[in-house]
Amino acid sequence: MPKSQYISTEKAFEKGFIHFNDIPVCQYNKTLAEEKKLYKKADFLRIYHDMRTIREFETMLNEVKTKSVYNGVEYHNPGPAHLSIGQEASAVGEAYCLDINDYSFGSHRSHGEIIARGLSSIEKLSDKELYDIMKDFLGGAILNVVEKHMKSDNVKELAKNFFLYGALAEVFARTTGFNKGLGGSMHAFFIPFGLMPNNAIVGGSGPIALGAALYKRVNHKPGIVIANSGDGACGRGPVLESFNFASMDQITKLWGMDGKYSDAGMPILFNIFDNFYGMGGQTRGETMGFDMPARLGAGFNPDGMHAERVNGYDPLAVIDAVSRKKELLLAGKGPALLDVVTYRISGHSPSDSSTYRTPEEIEEWKKANPIEAFKKKLIAGKVASAAEFDALDEMIVNRMTEIMKLSINDEISPRMDMEKHPDAIESIMFSNQKIHSMDTTREAEMLMPKEECPRVKEIANKVRKAFDENGKPVSKMKLYNIRDGLFEPIIDKFYDDPTLIAYGEDNRDWGGAFGVYKKMTEAIPYHRFFNAPISESAIVGSAVGYAMCGGRVIVELMYADFMGCAGDEIFNQMAKWQSMSAGILKMPIVLRVSVGSKYGAQHSQDWTALTAHIPGLKVVFPVTPADAKGLMTSALEGTDPVVFFESQRIYDKGEEFRPDGVPAGTFEIAIGEPDIKREGKDVTILTIGATLYRALEAAKILQEKYNISAEVIDARSIVPFNYEKVIESVKKTGKIIIAGDACERNSVMKDMAATITSLCFDYLDAPPVVVGSRNWITPCFEMEKYFFPQPEWFLDAIHTKIMPLPGYTPTANFTETEQIRRCKLGV
Amino acid sequence: MAEVVIMPRQGQSVESCIISKWNKKVGDPVAVGDVLFSYETDKSAFDEESKVAGTMLAIFFGEGDDVPCLTNVCVIGKPGEDFAQFAPKADEPAVKAEEVAAPAAPAAPAAPVAETAAPAAAPAGKDAFISPRARNLAMAQGVDYTQATATGPNGRIIERDVQALIAAGAQATFAARDAYIGSGKNIQGTGLGGRITTADLAAAAAAPAAAAAAPAAEEAEYVDVPMSNIRKVIAKSMTASLTGIPQLTYNMAYDMANINAYRALVKANGEAFGVKGITINDIIIFVASRVLLNHPDVNANCLDNKIRRFNHVHIGIAVDTERGLMVPTLRNADLKSLAQISKEAKELATACQKGDISPDKLSGASFTISNIGSLGVQSFTPVINPPQTAILGVNTIETRFRVVDGEIKPYSAMNLSLTTDHRVLDGAPSSRFLKELVNALENFSILLAK
Repeated sequence: MPKSQYISTEKAFEKGFIHFNDIPVCQYNKTLAEEKKLYKKADFLRIYHDMRTIREFETMLNEVKTKSVYNGVEYHNPGPAHLSIGQEASAVGEAYCLDINDYSFGSHRSHGEIIARGLSSIEKLSDKELYDIMKDFLGGAILNVVEKHMKSDNVKELAKNFFLYGALAEVFARTTGFNKGLGGSMHAFFIPFGLMPNNAIVGGSGPIALGAALYKRVNHKPGIVIANSGDGACGRGPVLESFNFASMDQITKLWGMDGKYSDAGMPILFNIFDNFYGMGGQTRGETMGFDMPARLGAGFNPDGMHAERVNGYDPLAVIDAVSRKKELLLAGKGPALLDVVTYRISGHSPSDSSTYRTPEEIEEWKKANPIEAFKKKLIAGKVASAAEFDALDEMIVNRMTEIMKLSINDEISPRMDMEKHPDAIESIMFSNQKIHSMDTTREAEMLMPKEECPRVKEIANKVRKAFDENGKPVSKMKLYNIRDGLFEPIIDKFYDDPTLIAYGEDNRDWGGAFGVYKKMTEAIPYHRFFNAPISESAIVGSAVGYAMCGGRVIVELMYADFMGCAGDEIFNQMAKWQSMSAGILKMPIVLRVSVGSKYGAQHSQDWTALTAHIPGLKVVFPVTPADAKGLMTSALEGTDPVVFFESQRIYDKGEEFRPDGVPAGTFEIAIGEPDIKREGKDVTILTIGATLYRALEAAKILQEKYNISAEVIDARSIVPFNYEKVIESVKKTGKIIIAGDACERNSVMKDMAATITSLCFDYLDAPPVVVGSRNWITPCFEMEKYFFPQPEWFLDAIHTKIMPLPGYTPTANFTETEQIRRCKLGV
Repeated sequence: MAEVVIMPRQGQSVESCIISKWNKKVGDPVAVGDVLFSYETDKSAFDEESKVAGTMLAIFFGEGDDVPCLTNVCVIGKPGEDFAQFAPKADEPAVKAEEVAAPAAPAAPAAPVAETAAPAAAPAGKDAFISPRARNLAMAQGVDYTQATATGPNGRIIERDVQALIAAGAQATFAARDAYIGSGKNIQGTGLGGRITTADLAAAAAAPAAAAAAPAAEEAEYVDVPMSNIRKVIAKSMTASLTGIPQLTYNMAYDMANINAYRALVKANGEAFGVKGITINDIIIFVASRVLLNHPDVNANCLDNKIRRFNHVHIGIAVDTERGLMVPTLRNADLKSLAQISKEAKELATACQKGDISPDKLSGASFTISNIGSLGVQSFTPVINPPQTAILGVNTIETRFRVVDGEIKPYSAMNLSLTTDHRVLDGAPSSRFLKELVNALENFSILLAK
C-alpha cells in the first residue's frame, strides 16, 4: 500500500491485451557429441552411478516392504516407503547443478532427491571438508558406524557409505539416522549438504522453501533455493500462495529503496516433478486443468516465472534446464518454475495396486527406463563399455546390501532407548535457548538511529502506568499502552538482531491492523518489514523456512481466526521441525495473532486451545502492557516458536498492576509463569486473556457485597504453564473458577480444570468451574454479553456450583441439568 | 545428631495440646533454655524450653494446631542434618510441615505428609455428600461432619459448614476422632478447648443424638473475637448446666459476729501462733467441709441414673483469672485444718492466676464455692458445675439491722446463695443444708474443735 504507487483511473481502465511468452516444452535436443564437450567420462559415469544407486536403494525398500527380504537379508519395516522408481534422472539432473550454498527442499517422495543431492555434494566437497562434516555431525555417531563396520578406499567412498547409511538408518527409525530416527522415511535430510527438510504433507515444502529463499534474499546469502514438489502439490493453496509470494512486485520494485538495497528477485526455483499422478488422481485430464504444470507460471508474473517443461527421463536435459534457471536466479531474476516430465513406475506406496492405470501404461514407461536408456546411449556413444557398467552395478548392489545389514542391526543401529532415556524426545520438543542475536557478525540494516524513530520518540513522552500520583486515570493519548509494550521489545530487536524481519497483512504503512507497528516504517528498510499478500499459509510457512535457515522472524495473522488458513504451517511445520530434526533445527518465530471482538462469528474467536493442543508450540496471552513487553522480550530472545495471542479489546489498556509502571529498560518475563493480579483468600479465579478485567470486576462485587475475597491469577502463558502458584492458591481457598473468552468446550480452561482437579483434589471444596464463552458462533457486538463471560457470571458460577451466596439470584444458568442439556445438544 | 522435641503430656487426662505460639522459626539458632513454643491444654498454658542447643531444622505443626501428646513437634540439630525420620506419620492431623531443605543430606526431605488424607470413617449420614476439602478439615479437626448443616450446592457439605461446627465447638480430640465422626451425636466435650474426648464418648454412648445447632448467620459491622479455649469450656459447661439441670437457688443470711471476732483475734495475735491471712472464704470452705458430711446428696455428683456420694469433701474453688473462670479442687477439705485449707487455697489460686496449674487439679470436686462478694454482689444464682449437685455462692458483707430487746441494732451479715440440682435435692433438704451451714457459720469457733 505504498503512497509512491499512484493508482489512476486512466491507467486502471486502459484498453489492451495481456500477452504471454511462449513456454518451452521439451525443447532440449542436444546430441551426445555436443554434450561430450561439457561432460568428461567420469561425469557421465557419475550421473549413471547416482541414478543406479537411487534405483537400488528404492528397490531394496520395495523388496523389504513387499517381500520382507532383500538380496537374502530378511527385514520387516512397518514404516512408510513412498518410492520414486522411474524418477531418478529428474533427481540426479537437478542435484548435479547444485552446491552446498544451495538449499533444496523435498517432496514426501524424496529418497531419490536426497541421495542425488548427497552424492552430488560428496563429489563437490574436498576430502577435508567432507571428513569434518562427518566428524561433527551428531558427534560423529554415524561416521563411527561406517568407519568401524565398512571398508572404504578413500574419503569419498567413506562419505558415500556415510550418507547412504545415515539415510537408510533414518528410514528405519534408528538413532544413527540423520535425525536420530525421528524424521523417518519422509523426513530424512542432511543440512550440512544444503539438503533441507522434506515434507510428509504434499506441497508442505512450498512455503518453507520460500522462507529459505527469503532468508537468502534478505540476509544477502549466496546460493539459490529449490522447492521440489510433485504435480499433485500444484492443487494446494500453500504452493500457489508461495508462487505468488515469491513473485510479488515489491521485491524488485520497492525493496531496493532507490538503490540503497538489492532489488533482486526471489532466488527460488519451484521444481515440479510431473509424474502425472497425485497419489492416484491423474492431474492432466482429471484433477487439474493446467494440462502441464509449466502453464502455472504465466499466472503469477509477467515473466511467467520463466517456466519451462523438460524431459525428466533424460538427465542431461534436466541438467541443461536447471543450470539455466540457476543462472537466472543468481542474476536476480527469480522466481523460476521448472516442470520436469517424469513417471513413477512404483506405486504411490507398497499398498498401491495401481487400479487407476493400465499395465500397458506402466510397461511402456518401464521400457523407457531412464537409467537403462542413459547406459545404452553412453555405450553406443562409446563413453564406456558394458563391462564397466556391470562393474559399477555390482559395486552398488554390494554397497546397498552391506548398508542394509548395518542399518537393521539392533546393536550397531539401535532405536532410541526410551527406557534408559525416557526424556529423549521430551528434551527436544523445545530448544529453550536464549540467543540475543542470530547473527552477531554484522550490523542490522536500519534507516535511522533508534532514538530518531518517530514511535520511539512518541513513547518517550508517555506515562508508563494507568493512574497518576493522585490515582486519577492518565489520559488515553498520554498513556503507555499494550501496543507500546509490544512495540518496544520488537524495535529493540530490529536494531540488535540483523536477521529479524517482520511481515504480515497490512504491517508496513498501516502499522498493523491494530496499530502495534505504527510509526515504525520510517526506521526499517522494506526487505525487513513488509506487507505480505493475503496468504496466511505462505506467511507462516515462509517464517518456518526463514527460521530453520538461521533467521528470527515475527509474522502476524491479524485475527486469530485466520490461523485456520495456515493450519498446516502452524500445526505441522512450525510446531514440529525442531523435534523432527532431533534438535538440529531451531525455530525462533513469534506468530502474533489477535483475538477480536465486535466483529462476529469469524473475527472473534480465542483459539488458544488449538495451538496449546499441538506439541512443540509455546503459547502466551499477556493482557497488561508490562506482561506484553516482558513476554515479547522473552519470545524474541528465545529459539522456540511462540504463538503470541493479543486481545483487541484491550490494546489501549495502561499498566494497572505495577505501582512503578512498565519498566523502561529491557526485562523478560519467563514464559510459563502465571501472575497473581489480586490477592485473596476465599476463592481463586484463574483467567486466560482479557477476561482478567471482568474477573477483577467480579472480585470487587464479591468483596463488597458478600465479603468474599477472591484471588485473581492471570495465566499469561498457556504452554508451558507452571501450576505451582495455582496449586498454592487452591490449597488456600479450596475453590477455583477458570475463565477465558474461548468457547468452553475442549478449551484450555477445561484442560486446566482437569489438571487442577487431579493436583488439588483433596483441597477442593467444590469442582473447579469453567466460565468460558458459550459453544456458539460469536453474535454481534450488541449481543456479546450473552456469549462472552460477564462479571456476574462469576457470581452465578460461585452461587450455583461452589458455595451459594445468601440472597443471590443468578442470571446465567450454571446448573447441572443445564450442563447436561447443553452437552446433549452439542451447544 | 538431630534431636526431636515432642509434645509433653501434662497430666494423665490430657490427650493433646494446642500450640499457642512459636518463638522459633525454622533456621533460627536455639540455645539450651530458650522457649521453643508455648502450648496450652484446656485450662493451662506452658512453655516448652529447649534442652539442647542447635538450629531449628523442622517444625511439623503450626500455631493453633491440636497436637496429640508425645507427637514429634520439631527437630533441632545442625543445618543440613536429615530429619525426615522424625516427621509425624501421615494420618496425624494438621501436620503443616515447615522444613529447612537439607541440601547436603542425600535422603529426601520429609514427604509432605499433610497432603495425604487419613482414611475417612464411612460417612454415617446417608446423604452426607462432602467436599474433599471439608472432609479433610473435619478429619483434621475431629469434627463429625454428619452433623453439619450442608449449605453447598446439591446439599453438599462444604468447608464453611465444617467451620461452623468448629465454631460451635463440636470438635473431638485426635484420639476420639474416628469414633466420634459419624456417631451423629451431639456430645458436650470436656477436653482440651472443649474437645470431645474418648471419655466423653464413653459417657455419651447411650445418649440420644441431637441435631447440631444451625450455624449462626454472619452479620457485618461488628468484630468477631474467637473464643479462647477456656471460654469455650466455660461456655459449654455452663450451657450444659443450665440446659441440662433443673436447678434453683436458695438465699439465706447469717450473722458474722463470731467470724469477725475470730478474724480480729487472728489479726491481732495470729502471727505469734503461725496463723495468718485467714480469709472469710477460707472459713466458709472450712465450715462447709464439716457440714457437708451431714448432707451426702449435697456432697455428690449426679451421674446417669445414679448419685455418687463422696466419702470426703472436695471443694471446687472458683477463681477469677485473666483467662477466665477456673475452678481448682481442694481435695479432702474435711480432713484438713483451717490453716491447711487457707494455705492450700492460696496456692491453688496463685497457680490458676499464673496459668500453670496441673490439669489434674482442675477436676474431681464434689462441691463448689464461688465468692463474688468482694465485688458487692448481694445475691446471685450460682450455676452448678456438672456433674456436681450443688454450688454455694458467697455474697458481700452488709450491715443489717434487727430489733434486740426493743432496740434497733446494727449487725454484720452475709447472704449465701445455694443452687442445688432438683433431680437430687428437693427444696427441703437443700434448705436444711443451708440452714445448718448458716448455723455453723454463726457458731464457727465451736467447729474449730472438729
